[in-house]
Amino acid sequence: MSPETVAQIVLTGLTVGAMYALATIGLSLIWGSLGMLNMAHGVFLTIGGYSAYAAVSVAGLPWPSGIAAALLFGALIGLLLYLGVVRWMVETANFETNIIIASFGVAIALENSVLRIFGGQPFGQPLVMHGAVDVGLVSIPYQNIIIIIGSAGLMVVASYMMRQTRLGRAIRAVSQQRDAAGLMGVPVQRIFLIVLVFSGMLSAISGVMLTSSTQLAPALGQDPMIKAFIMCVVAGLGHIGGAVAMAFALAMIEAAAQFWLGARWGFPTLLTLVILVLIVRPAGLFGRVSITRL
Amino acid sequence: MTSVPASGNAGGLKVSDIVSGYGNQLVLHGLSLAIDPGTLVSVIGPNGHGKTTLLRTISGQVPLRDGHVQLNGTDISGRPVDAITAAGVVHVPQGDLLFTGMTVYENLLMGAYLVTDQASLQDRLDQVFALLPKLAERRNQITDSLSGGERRMVGIGRGLMTGGQVLMLDEPSLGLAPIVIDAIYELVEKLKAEGRSILLVEESPERVVDFADRIYLLDNGEINWNGTAAELSANEELLSTYLGV
Repeated sequence: MSPETVAQIVLTGLTVGAMYALATIGLSLIWGSLGMLNMAHGVFLTIGGYSAYAAVSVAGLPWPSGIAAALLFGALIGLLLYLGVVRWMVETANFETNIIIASFGVAIALENSVLRIFGGQPFGQPLVMHGAVDVGLVSIPYQNIIIIIGSAGLMVVASYMMRQTRLGRAIRAVSQQRDAAGLMGVPVQRIFLIVLVFSGMLSAISGVMLTSSTQLAPALGQDPMIKAFIMCVVAGLGHIGGAVAMAFALAMIEAAAQFWLGARWGFPTLLTLVILVLIVRPAGLFGRVSITRL
Repeated sequence: MTSVPASGNAGGLKVSDIVSGYGNQLVLHGLSLAIDPGTLVSVIGPNGHGKTTLLRTISGQVPLRDGHVQLNGTDISGRPVDAITAAGVVHVPQGDLLFTGMTVYENLLMGAYLVTDQASLQDRLDQVFALLPKLAERRNQITDSLSGGERRMVGIGRGLMTGGQVLMLDEPSLGLAPIVIDAIYELVEKLKAEGRSILLVEESPERVVDFADRIYLLDNGEINWNGTAAELSANEELLSTYLGV
């Protein structure tokens, strides 16, 4: 195998991995802190992509407005999901199961709204940078560079926020011991709201990046949603750093499988590996059984 | 329903005729008690009779069905958990409930979540480290790797960091070796000597009779008796009937 081929696979893996990672952070954050599998997560991506399109291509605003619109609508969807659904269900029995159904309903409603407003015809995302830079024998599209750098930047921000700030500590506390966090004065419901809004914004930006290298379509979030879910499970539920690492690793494996076995075999190969990992490590690669000294 | 007259003092924590429970199961059937400022009140009683539910009800984790909880004359009944903490009632729960993957320092910082002023935060940290020097030594250690006694100290230290007016401790000696229990109770005595208001829940009276200002006996969700430590020690029938002493 030539070095160019390896470089091309790595580049594809990095680009796709960066997009998966962004989608995965949002899902993992919500899962970890609320115990909520947000089935509407894929629609957050869709809303982000279409918001940028509407601001730039429909309203004719300059390109930064596309990013701002995606962030705004991502936050808005997160806010509405909290106010309309999560707030009323989070303290009730069987929340973790019931919210799957409820958020699935929200996903269908939003996806159909997008279909009704924009139609089923695929669009091109206006936020695209054309051209490429040649590094040795490999040609790297500017768009891929932007995706990798943009994703890395957002992940650094998210990681810093979670590790170093008061809000991040509060989110981690709520995710581990909701009762104890409340007893420390942490407003648990407000933390839920912030997590959903933040996750909505991250996912919406991910949707913009994703559609900059693919196309806008009402169901565009479904595939990344499934993959983000898989990555969260393989990493260990709620383990954000692990989920990001898995996003890159699995994207690389998928890219390699697509190259050697054909495009159809990328996802089945990924799933086979996932099953093997979960047989050996049922709690995920980064999940662990808590061991406590007595 | 046995109702114990609460203190006439407007300050401190006053619990009046509270009823609470889980689902259809009522656990507390209208009990009252009071913690005057600067005193240590202990609630004792057999397991499963409502001691933890009492603290969880006061701190807002279990919904109040009836009755009132007042702090310094202000009704805090029905407020959310974080608002009750912000008002000044600190609940150190049974079983530590520390935040895993966080250091001792980070856990203490979580206790001071409501403090945004850096100087006040440092002041509280200094006070906690002065009371619990071991925590200063372990400051950067992840709490998962601490011993049971050290974790209990972190739990109490984290509660103290909230800076509340009334400290509620739920069986701080539970599951610990006698030597560690001694250390915990030395700390409780120090806190009392500092003039803090403390509500201490324990199963057995042995550890609390030496310094509790008032003891309440909780039986089947009701207060069956209350009095001083000396009165309890003299009441052999009560000790043998309810506490197996």
